[in-house]
Amino acid sequence: MPTVILLDVSLSMLRPVSGTDGTEEYQRRHLAIHGIGAFLDHLSANSKLEFVSLIIFSSLWEQLVPFTRDYDIIKAALDKTENFDKTFTEAALAAAGSVITEEWGSTSSTPAQVILVTDGSTGIGSGSLKHSLQTLHDRTADDTFPLPFQFPCKLHVVPIVNQSEANLQTTLNMYQKLIDLNNQGGQLFLPEGALSLKSVQTCFTKMAEQCFTPLYAVLQCGHLQCNVQVYPLPQPYHRQQDFKNVHKTVNEVISICGFLDSTDVASPPFISRHLVLPRAITKEESHDKEESKADGKDEDEDGTEEGKTPSFTVLLHGSLKVEGMVALVEVSEDWYGMLYSWADSKKKSNLMLSIFEPGTDVLPWLGELDHLSAHSSMLFPEPPYGFEDNRTPFPVRPQDRRSYAQNCVVWIKATGLQSDIQKILRHARKLPEKQQQFYKELNRVRKAALSLGFMELLEALSTMLDRECTLLPGTAHPDAALQLSHAANSLRSDNAKEYSQNILPLSTNFSGE
Amino acid sequence: MAFPHAHKTVIVIDHSPHFSESCKQAIEFDVLFNKNRTSGIIPLAPVMKSMWTCNVEAVLEYCRIVYDVFPKNKLIRLISSDSAANTMNTWKQQEQLLNHLLVLFSAIKPPLAKSRKADFNIMHGLVRAIEVLCETSELQHRMRTSLSPDDSAVVNRGRVICLTTLKSDAHVRTIEECVQDTIVQHNKLAASSDSLIPIDHCELVLLHIVPVGDDSAVTGRTRKEISPLLTSEVHVTQSGKFIALKLMELVQKHYDLFSTTVTGIPMKEEQNASSSANYDVELLHSADAHREIMKSDHQEGVVIQSKEGLPTMTVGLKWCTPKSNVIELQNCLGAYRVTPVDVNSRPSQCLTNFLLSGRAVMLEQPRKTGRVMSHMLASHGGELYIHVLSIARSALEDPPSISEGAGGRVTDYRIQDFGDFMKENRLAPAKAGVSAVKPIEIAKSQLERMTRHWPIVISNTIIFNMVSHLDPLPSLIMKEALEEEEVLECKKAIYHVVGMESRNDPLPVPTLGTRGKGPKRDEQYRQMWNELEMFIKGHAGTSANHNEVLKCLLDCKRPEEGKGSSGSPVKVKEEKADPSRQAEAALRDYEKYQKMSEREKQDLNKVEIKDSPDSPPPVKQQKMSTIGKVTPGPQSLLSLWANRLKSQSTKRHKEFDGRLESDGPQAELYIHLKEELQGNTPDGNFPQNKGTAAAKLKTS
Repeated sequence: MPTVILLDVSLSMLRPVSGTDGTEEYQRRHLAIHGIGAFLDHLSANSKLEFVSLIIFSSLWEQLVPFTRDYDIIKAALDKTENFDKTFTEAALAAAGSVITEEWGSTSSTPAQVILVTDGSTGIGSGSLKHSLQTLHDRTADDTFPLPFQFPCKLHVVPIVNQSEANLQTTLNMYQKLIDLNNQGGQLFLPEGALSLKSVQTCFTKMAEQCFTPLYAVLQCGHLQCNVQVYPLPQPYHRQQDFKNVHKTVNEVISICGFLDSTDVASPPFISRHLVLPRAITKEESHDKEESKADGKDEDEDGTEEGKTPSFTVLLHGSLKVEGMVALVEVSEDWYGMLYSWADSKKKSNLMLSIFEPGTDVLPWLGELDHLSAHSSMLFPEPPYGFEDNRTPFPVRPQDRRSYAQNCVVWIKATGLQSDIQKILRHARKLPEKQQQFYKELNRVRKAALSLGFMELLEALSTMLDRECTLLPGTAHPDAALQLSHAANSLRSDNAKEYSQNILPLSTNFSGE
Repeated sequence: MAFPHAHKTVIVIDHSPHFSESCKQAIEFDVLFNKNRTSGIIPLAPVMKSMWTCNVEAVLEYCRIVYDVFPKNKLIRLISSDSAANTMNTWKQQEQLLNHLLVLFSAIKPPLAKSRKADFNIMHGLVRAIEVLCETSELQHRMRTSLSPDDSAVVNRGRVICLTTLKSDAHVRTIEECVQDTIVQHNKLAASSDSLIPIDHCELVLLHIVPVGDDSAVTGRTRKEISPLLTSEVHVTQSGKFIALKLMELVQKHYDLFSTTVTGIPMKEEQNASSSANYDVELLHSADAHREIMKSDHQEGVVIQSKEGLPTMTVGLKWCTPKSNVIELQNCLGAYRVTPVDVNSRPSQCLTNFLLSGRAVMLEQPRKTGRVMSHMLASHGGELYIHVLSIARSALEDPPSISEGAGGRVTDYRIQDFGDFMKENRLAPAKAGVSAVKPIEIAKSQLERMTRHWPIVISNTIIFNMVSHLDPLPSLIMKEALEEEEVLECKKAIYHVVGMESRNDPLPVPTLGTRGKGPKRDEQYRQMWNELEMFIKGHAGTSANHNEVLKCLLDCKRPEEGKGSSGSPVKVKEEKADPSRQAEAALRDYEKYQKMSEREKQDLNKVEIKDSPDSPPPVKQQKMSTIGKVTPGPQSLLSLWANRLKSQSTKRHKEFDGRLESDGPQAELYIHLKEELQGNTPDGNFPQNKGTAAAKLKTS
């Protein structure tokens, strides 16, 4: 989950904090920087793969550090920050929005979060947060408020304030209003007790713990199991579908249902992608773990032992890669995804989980997902993959063909009609060889004309065939003239007005040849 | 939006005499393509479509697009209205088909110019439209009758599109009031009925159609709320191709569609096959496919005016000639069905046929810097889809390799075997209703069954390193049900291994990780038997026949267990020729034996004893003949004859166990009896296939 840290560098951040726990006096900015440092330390210990960017703002803003996993760069940049004029929160939020969209796009597959680190002063005048919130409803299209973010993004606010400050509640209400406006999650983190290095550090660490809770899950294939970490954390799904509201969260057991050839799944759309990283826990350890979980302890495994303990995930990854297959997994009730080997354009490959849209009918070419079953099971009287493994039951075809696959007639443009008529004429000139095609095309056009109530066309067509008859060269087969005038007459008859009655070729003395 | 209006649409088509009039747009149908042949011929006079024809055409095109893009749950009903309303189809999904509609329309003759009936009123059709909106669709019915509380709350929204001619703005108001009244009335009816459902909201779209070139007495009007139940809008359009364009515009609005124009498709010229030119094809699909573009700052030059002459915008994406047919797994964020705007134009057909043949095309966004492949066109099961590809940076870039993580340094994973396992557990679509349990649950239970004993590394297993010796037991035992013959096959495999042990064949024990020589061979066999037992035990509960296999294994194994600790190898000698027959024989003998009285048993033993001295020691001979060492050179007639006799004679009698035991042609008799009399335990040296009998004897 890419994270943007928005650090307030207005002059009010220079306000000193009366040191209660030490002799040294700190400014609020020191506390903020210290807190962010603690936040980054938590990341490097627990979530090394997170991208973080640092933006500083006053009345202007600047992206000091673009998205990086090297948190030391951010720490170095933090130490060098200078302070400028006044707080302009709205511009900062807009900046965070544009920085994230530019880098990560605006799809749901990469949810982001913004952490606003500021002090209690919300600015004055037209740039103040108060003013921004007051003018919320009289905005023009060019000057919209940056919230809610136009992409999935949480907003956290960490104000470096003393609990005893005047007007604190008003300020906090405004911050809360921002979070509510965004309405995508996030919360207000307030340092508890008096402002100090310690209270701010605790506050930031608490936030880091909440923001980056990893999903420890069990990957399961029958009796084969493996403890895994799913990264990034799969987001709960809350969406209004056409006929119902869907609220789902990913289970802690990801169970494999079966396997598919990756050519059969054919680039299915997903709502999010996650790395599935094996975690080494032997049986005894896992036992201990369960006990120690209650204590909140998490012991680090020995790095070298870790690599040597066989892990089902590694086996699965290897086989999926070698066979070019994917594993269909159930992540929650009626919610599926797939596991496959994925390489980031380099040689390093890893096990990836793509989570589909919840529901069983999300991939039409695989059919209903809960109607899939092992091909070797007794549900199939004939092997779906053939006796020699030479066919595939996929893609599942819909019962009806789509218009583009069935040569349908559309005459909205004149060219459509013209080309259909030309087709008849081409066959007419090659009678009697093309007799079958001639009548087929003739009936096709006739039926379409009947459906459209286009009776004028039937008359025109028969006139045209009469003319073709007169234009036949002397070398033409005698049958050609007979068929043409028969077709022309038939078009004028009442029978031609019957949709189901096809015009049949005239049986002549020549037709037996 | 939940419960969209688009779930139920009623299209009312005016069938009054007015629409028999010409649309006043001539169509040249007699086009002279071949100039040489037709020189001097005057083309036939152009034809005119009636306004009815134009309406039907436009409505069919509207339906075509909806059915192509949303094959399910976007339902359309058609009503023709003259002096009465004529409902053409139902809400049933199987009647939502273009071909079905074509047949239905053919049954409605075009309106006659002069009709004697006077009471032509579009209200007939509109009243009927409200009626049918009160009928439940299949989905609504299912949800209403569903027991789950989430589903049962159905909001019934719908849309009525009416193609007609309006007299004046006052006429419009009259119609709106009538429709409003009708909804109120029918809602009352529906509220007191089980089969009907009240309308929660209706969107009325009135289309006033005039012949091409004529002026309209009615003015168009955007959506207006008539009541909380009804909104209404009025569109004024000319007939001919304009009505089709109008409905094309509306279908995009009603179903939230957007258009993509694939530009620069290289295509051979029809007249001149050697040269190729570039064509554009416009496609319609759900607007979701372009949400990303619409939000981004790169719209300039991408979102352009429709090239097909539609009054709408389109996203122009450049065709990228595919390099290979192999379709990799793309980072795909969405897949939406598409349909061409101009379905039977030559460029459209070329593109659709290309895609339907199984190839995929990448589409590139025209940007000033760099190439951005943002979409892909591909077909799945005869349907065309546009795939939205992820073009933004991924938060997962540069992940650690799996070899760096837990278990990454282990090198003897059974990759190949798990590959076979995966193939065995590949999924296939089951027919609906084929089983009471969800098919996917059956697949999962099969996985459960097949993984009861599945060591993931080679060094952890013996039996899966000697599968060639155990075949077909491992695959059979995992089946849901075992046939009698299959039980026999399994037993055969067990006897085969017993034979291996008796010959002291080396076992393919994984050498990995073991230093020096590793465990001794009999220790290896012991491990193997234990693993095999664990493996079969896991499946013994599946059925009686599975248990039968376990019993057989335990019978074969039991003698060793007693001896296992003593360390001396058990010399189990076996007739290797056809162990299954032997198994059968053993079983039969055993059963017979059990039924015998003590006296008979003794007799039987005596008979065997009596017979044995005369018969040649066949075991060794047969062993040799099966190995083939007896005939190193070409076989003589005598050797053939002798072999035949030998094989026949071996079949006739059961080999005496004592001889099997002994080293030479002579055997000590009654050893067990002796032991028993002395009070010693009789197992151990006893030939295994008689072991149970002996044990039985002892207890009885």
